[in-house]
Amino acid sequence: MLGFVVGEALRDLRRAGRVAVSAVVLITLSLVALGVFWVLSFNLGRAVAEWRDRVRIIVYLKREPSPAEVPALMQRVRALPDVAGARYVAKAEALASLKRVLGKDAGVADQLPSNPLPASIEVTPTAAGATPDGAGALIQRLAALPEADEVAGGAEWVERLSHWQRLLATIGLGIGATLALAAILTVTTSTTLVLHARRHETEIMRLVGAPEAAIRLPLLLQGLVQGLLGALLALLALAVGHHLAAPWLEPLMSLTIGVPRLEFLTPPGMVTLLAAGAGLGAFGGWLARGRRGLA
Amino acid sequence: MIELHRVSKVYEVGPVKVPALTDVSFHLGKGEFVVLTGPSGAGKTSLLRLLYREELPTEGDIEVLGQPVTELSRAKVQTLRRSIGVVFQDAKLLPGRTVYENIAFVLRVTGTARREITARAFDALRAVGLSSRAQAYPAQLSLGEAQRAALARAIVRQQPLLIADEPTGNLDDAMAAEVLAIIKDIWTSGTTVILATHQARLARTLRRRTLMLEAGRLVKDEG
Repeated sequence: MLGFVVGEALRDLRRAGRVAVSAVVLITLSLVALGVFWVLSFNLGRAVAEWRDRVRIIVYLKREPSPAEVPALMQRVRALPDVAGARYVAKAEALASLKRVLGKDAGVADQLPSNPLPASIEVTPTAAGATPDGAGALIQRLAALPEADEVAGGAEWVERLSHWQRLLATIGLGIGATLALAAILTVTTSTTLVLHARRHETEIMRLVGAPEAAIRLPLLLQGLVQGLLGALLALLALAVGHHLAAPWLEPLMSLTIGVPRLEFLTPPGMVTLLAAGAGLGAFGGWLARGRRGLA
Repeated sequence: MIELHRVSKVYEVGPVKVPALTDVSFHLGKGEFVVLTGPSGAGKTSLLRLLYREELPTEGDIEVLGQPVTELSRAKVQTLRRSIGVVFQDAKLLPGRTVYENIAFVLRVTGTARREITARAFDALRAVGLSSRAQAYPAQLSLGEAQRAALARAIVRQQPLLIADEPTGNLDDAMAAEVLAIIKDIWTSGTTVILATHQARLARTLRRRTLMLEAGRLVKDEG
């Protein structure tokens, strides 16, 4: 029976001809659109995750505490909610950092009559503290410390990056879903044409008591084959596109969002794309139901 | 084998009700050969369609091969149909397949093992004298040959019941005689046969039990 079902599905595909080809092309286009946005969103997501790890809040102190006071102060800071870690930066260390940044112009700092840089505490927030709301609340808690003069930092821009990532994913899903709908309708049309072409066979099959599976499975299978073929072509197009675009995009990405490599879909992502294609095709085939032969 | 009890069938065409069969009852035993006759539009085809559950009666009970056909589930209807061979006036051969493929198709879709298909298909072709035309396409057959191919397809699963709906309607006398001879051979091998024809002369030459329908009513049961 399996041989019969597969044979009939391939025969049906040949019968559907150009309409089947259109369905495959539409499935390819919808999955390419989905895949492009998926890849971009995935890479932007990596940047967001990486930058979220780098969020720091700086507490500038009114005066430099004595070495004996530092441990107690740091203990109070680390005990605050949403604080993952804290590092004390003395005035001298801050000046040394500035000199490192200035490089060959570091001599400028030596001209200063005294060290103008305040002592500070570099606070690393937890994941919850790295969101805009979490960071805002943490800043308020740190500003309430009697030793604090000013608190700087926040996660708004990381959130803006994250917002772009979500926007890209939504646009990708929207375009992909629209094209997927068109693909489903095309598969349904091609399957309906096949149903019309094989109506005599279906009539004979019902008359001789063929099981419903023998009548319906070839339709489902031909839709599935169209979907899988479309998904394979989409994956191929995405891989070629990635191979060509990566050398151009990677320097730009490194410069703007600090992610040096444009990653391609992961193996589970590729399997999901193939499954989505097969699912689209099978759904289109399933929608094109033939007339009910049994009273 | 077949039992009809006060069966009526009414088709509803929009608001209009068209009675096709009215209060038909009869019994058909195993191994019988019954000719169902009557003018065109008398209800012969409607009655046959009820037997293989292509239609449901509006009223009454029908039992075929021990099965109450009005109460069967979809799966049971499929099982019932596997026990019935049906032949139509137009042979209903699949045009894109050869005679052999048409017959093998029925075996394949009903799950016959691949190794048995060829032998059984050629047995059926031999029974109707069509072995030499196995690779011909339906368009290359005469009307008589096409009807014999349809008969081969109807008996290839060695069903206990053969329903023939005007199988000689499109044939000249010589071809009709050939087809009827084959149907008689099938009957003598033990198959129960119910044959519908509007040709009264043909019905008489068969000299079998005859059920006559007129305007959907059973008016004669003789022989």
